[in-house]
Amino acid sequence: MQTNFTPEQLQDPELKVANGILRTCVHCGFCTATCPTFVELGDELDSPRGRIYLIKDMLESGRPASELEARHIDRCLSCLSCMTTCPSGVNYMHLVDHARRHVEETYTRPLPERALRSVLAMLLPHPGRFRWAMRLAKLGKPLRGLIPGQGTTAKRLRAMLELAPEHIPAPQPVTGTHPAEGARRGRVAMLAGCAQQVLDPEINAATIRLLTRMGYEVVVPPAAGCCGALTHHMGRHDPAMATARANILAWDAEIAAGGLDGIIVNASGCGTTVKDYGFMFRNEPEAEAAARVSALAMDITEALARFDYTPSRTAPPFTVAYHSACSLQHGQKITALPKQLLAKAGFVVKEPAEGHLCCGSAGTYNMMQPEISAKLKARKLANIRRTGAAVVAAGNIGCLTQIGAGGPPTVHTVQLLDWMAGGPKPKAIEGL
Amino acid sequence: MIAPETEQGVAEAIRAAHDARQPLAIEGAGSKRGMLRPVRAAETLTTRALTGITLYKPAELVISARAGTPIAEIEAALAEKGQQIISEPPSPLGVGGATLGGIAATNLSGPRRIAWGSMRDHMLGIRAVKGDGEVFRSGGRVLKNVTGLDLCKLLSGSHGTLGVLTEITFKVLPAAEATGTLAVSVPDVAAGVRALSAGLGSPFGVSGAALLPGGLASLGLAGPVALLRIEDFAESVTYRKGRLREVLAPYGDVSLVEGAAARSLWRGVRDVTFLDAAPDEAVWRLSVAPSAAAAVCAALPGAKLMLDWGGGLIWVAGEASEAMHAAVVAATGPGSFTLFRAPDALRGAVAVMPAEPAPLAAISARVKALLDPAGILNPGRMGR
Amino acid sequence: MIRLPAPKPEVMARRPQILAGLAALVPADALITEELRLRPYETDGLAAYRQMPLAVVLPRTTEEVAAVLRFCHQQGVRVIPRGAGTSLSGGALPLADAVVVGLMRMNHILDINFEDRYAVVEAGVTNIGITQAVAGDGFFYAPDPSSQLACMIGGNVMMNSGGAHCLKYGVTANNLLGVKFVTIEGEIFEVGGTHLDGAGYDWLGLITGSEGQLGMVTEVTVRILRGPEGARAMLAAFSSIPIAGQAVDAIIGSGIIPVALEFMDRPCIHACEAFAHAGYPLDAEAMLIIEVEGSVAEQDALLARIRDICAQFSPISMKVAESAEQSLAIWKGRKGAFGAVGRISPDYLCMDGTIPTGELPFVLGRITQMSEQYGLGVANVFHAGDGNLHPLIMFDANDPASFAKAEAFGADILKLCVEVGGCLTGEHGVGVEKRDLMTVQFTADELDLQRAIKSAFDPAWLLNPAKVFPLEGNKVLDAA
Repeated sequence: MQTNFTPEQLQDPELKVANGILRTCVHCGFCTATCPTFVELGDELDSPRGRIYLIKDMLESGRPASELEARHIDRCLSCLSCMTTCPSGVNYMHLVDHARRHVEETYTRPLPERALRSVLAMLLPHPGRFRWAMRLAKLGKPLRGLIPGQGTTAKRLRAMLELAPEHIPAPQPVTGTHPAEGARRGRVAMLAGCAQQVLDPEINAATIRLLTRMGYEVVVPPAAGCCGALTHHMGRHDPAMATARANILAWDAEIAAGGLDGIIVNASGCGTTVKDYGFMFRNEPEAEAAARVSALAMDITEALARFDYTPSRTAPPFTVAYHSACSLQHGQKITALPKQLLAKAGFVVKEPAEGHLCCGSAGTYNMMQPEISAKLKARKLANIRRTGAAVVAAGNIGCLTQIGAGGPPTVHTVQLLDWMAGGPKPKAIEGL
Repeated sequence: MIAPETEQGVAEAIRAAHDARQPLAIEGAGSKRGMLRPVRAAETLTTRALTGITLYKPAELVISARAGTPIAEIEAALAEKGQQIISEPPSPLGVGGATLGGIAATNLSGPRRIAWGSMRDHMLGIRAVKGDGEVFRSGGRVLKNVTGLDLCKLLSGSHGTLGVLTEITFKVLPAAEATGTLAVSVPDVAAGVRALSAGLGSPFGVSGAALLPGGLASLGLAGPVALLRIEDFAESVTYRKGRLREVLAPYGDVSLVEGAAARSLWRGVRDVTFLDAAPDEAVWRLSVAPSAAAAVCAALPGAKLMLDWGGGLIWVAGEASEAMHAAVVAATGPGSFTLFRAPDALRGAVAVMPAEPAPLAAISARVKALLDPAGILNPGRMGR
Repeated sequence: MIRLPAPKPEVMARRPQILAGLAALVPADALITEELRLRPYETDGLAAYRQMPLAVVLPRTTEEVAAVLRFCHQQGVRVIPRGAGTSLSGGALPLADAVVVGLMRMNHILDINFEDRYAVVEAGVTNIGITQAVAGDGFFYAPDPSSQLACMIGGNVMMNSGGAHCLKYGVTANNLLGVKFVTIEGEIFEVGGTHLDGAGYDWLGLITGSEGQLGMVTEVTVRILRGPEGARAMLAAFSSIPIAGQAVDAIIGSGIIPVALEFMDRPCIHACEAFAHAGYPLDAEAMLIIEVEGSVAEQDALLARIRDICAQFSPISMKVAESAEQSLAIWKGRKGAFGAVGRISPDYLCMDGTIPTGELPFVLGRITQMSEQYGLGVANVFHAGDGNLHPLIMFDANDPASFAKAEAFGADILKLCVEVGGCLTGEHGVGVEKRDLMTVQFTADELDLQRAIKSAFDPAWLLNPAKVFPLEGNKVLDAA
């Protein structure tokens, strides 16, 4: 597609990358049909092609973002379904990340929205603060109906309270080194994450159990924390880079110290970001370390396939609906592996129709865009119910929370795999 | 009767008639002279002398011929190369001798239409003369063409009222290596249509699906008989006959019809001779959704019936009266009807086909005026 | 660059009143008027041409469409119908004084009838959406343009879209039973129904492929077909384009009509393989994708016949898909071919001429020569069975000289197609792109006749003007 950047603009390395991405787009429109927001809203502006066009115009003109651009870019789930569809190989992820940063830096959002976004950015990446907030939210949940008004802020607050879990599990600290059982076959680092370990600490526990049982030493360096995705997707460049940098340094130190066979990520949203560290830090002093880290990053299912996961129990005749998290299928292009592992573990695996469409969770999306999110959730649940499956497996905590509220019980894929390899039956499906 | 031997001759004749405001009956061989309304014209222009195949490229699946070329002549030329006219042009009620132009202008198709499309579907290009004597072309000689408005479609089925076709180019296909026919004895029309729907809804490529409510004496089948045909490579036909038989078994006794018997059977369906219409009876041709067929037939007790196209094409023969016509029209419901053959008194008095919705009729009148400004082409034929 | 008719000054001057009038007809979220939000509607799948519209309306019902058209008719405002905006001929390119009426919100499937084998859908349902809705019962909607994932049935009707499988199943026109039609005056009526071949003039046939010149279609009744038991694709790779062309002739000549017969040349093979990872032969100068249908045994028998034929032309390799996934990957590459060329060139113009298949080797040879003359790369992918070519001319839109050369190159290819007995467009439509080449294929009188038929539907030429017909010699637009 034609672009109109000045030679001066193209001196800017960020704009140069954006221009390269825009030039790849041939405006064929294939992406529109697989974009969840276009399917729901039916306006080209809420499609990847429309957003690309909007972003192109915004960046070319160099003008500050307006409410309009913020609105349509904010509506993007960053599910990256468009990247799976795109025949031309347009890197929409990097383009929309760039645009989000531009919006964040040049547009002043209304005060309530700014406050909300700041609160989320302050809470979510920090497990301690987040757990504390969840306790408060749990108390406030019964009162959500009392929040007055049909304004955006009221809707968002209600959505946030709606998401608060009834039960907040006790923390299970995982930092430190978890030695391999039996002969050590290798050594991996695990991203402990942020919100996930508050909402469901069993996922990390199952991951560590399974890997150590398979002969892998698992290290969780204390200095590593949130991957930075949450703030990155809010366009908050500096805090995102700061948390990412901490991870890069911590893991790179482990690489130097004892060598790593992989950096395991069991929240695919985080995995997509960790795999992108190399790009994010390409112009930073940590560029090389970031590239090393990205090269080692792998989703837990990739690791299990590579380490030759083998079940030891006979699976009950469960039908498992496998929900393919967007970050896994579109962001990391991992589609068949989790289903193959579940089948290897002995489950009957079904895939819901419209598997390419996002469930509406998408990081903080379900709080910031509650209406679109609710539509997508309803659509997803209807498709899941049609499979008749007793349980839903997915590889991302956001989806598990979103689908779990109102749908069949949800478990992380690794929990089912751990169970079949000798671990405990996941609590969520105790009754089955 | 004017019978030009060249397109230029057709153009000159029409121009002269246009200038003189002299209406012309337009025909090829005249085999469909009795269709629709009587034409109000003292003079007839026939294309029967405008004959000859002008282009035939078997490897490109394309043939062109002048409008007056008899269908039989084209079929013979194609058969030499193992090919055929896809839509299986009929000689309805056994009246043969049709020309290519006549079949195109009436868009009549045989049993294969249900699977492979109508005559109109395969028309790639035309040359024609407008009502003012001007020659025009539409389409071309290639298999895929969306360049400009598709006047081939507009002229197909226009019964010579929008222009006189002088040359037609259309797509042909290889004739099937083998065919097979299954006959299913069914209790009634409704069950028969369900059997046809099951066959057409199967993956076995049914290329003919007819229903003879009166049975098939030649096969000793007294009750209604559903007929299904497969055409393909020999090994496919063998396989598919067997599979289709399984699909059809729940609907009634299934028997196989082979060879010359099968060929004559489908000729009878194609040419509507199974309808067995008496010379003094009127004949209607209805097009409906197949699932409506049973109700249509039930609403016409005493009428002779023959169904094709999976039950969607219903031929009706009955008393040539306005009452019967009204009953047929009422039975057709949202479908389409044609008074195909009737004494002039009846076909001159009733609506021989459904009226267009008012806004479309206004457009239609403008298009007619455009293509036939003096109103000399087959006036009255389509009710205008 | 293509010339567009001058905006009507009286319309531009009354923009506020016109927008207010539209606002009274549709809900607030169905009317787009701000410049920023109009921007993505300034172009379609042919991004080289752009023009901002006056406004965009996104109606949800036929009645809303009718109300908008009626209003525009009263006000003398031009209307540009739009589906998914995937036209490769600029069919949805706006005009400065025109209202774009987009049908993407009319995306509901209204009725599916397996016994009578039809589906009634709103115009904004995607092509593949119809197949997806009936696939569970073993049925499909046959025409399958490469953009079928995104393109909408309303647009398919307006462009008479084809696809890879139309060699056997026909194009859109052959698979329609009826449409709900809205005239520029805002009149709504049905054309056709749920039956075949009704009596009377074939308005459905005329409307199909009319590129928005006659009216808008809001609902479509399509035939659905029971799918075959199975289908399998094979790849045959050849050392030269003419040899592959001869193989195509031999296959058709043998009496086999494969359900699809597709051709790719070397640049295209490489681009598509990078996208689809389908195992395309990277060492070939030309490749055929040949698909057959039926039971496994039938597929085997047909593929054996085809292999024997191909073997006579010293293929570099032949490969039969071994699984449904492999067949899917083979088709993914083919259907993403245009976009995939975006990987090797920033921009392309996609031509769409059809030629008699006997002329394939000659025409492809000439295209190669022209490519050298113009100094622009070309990738060829097309429907070999029906001679519908898709040369993709690669250029750089940021270089105006390159674009001008690409346009001239494209025009030369299309003129060549007409010269050898073919046509300008086989399935993409004339649009704005090939408008001025219409005089190559039609005489002035023939064009006038087609224009007059448009006038019979749209006397003031408000519907998608500036498309299909050359502006030169257009009496109505000139007078305006």
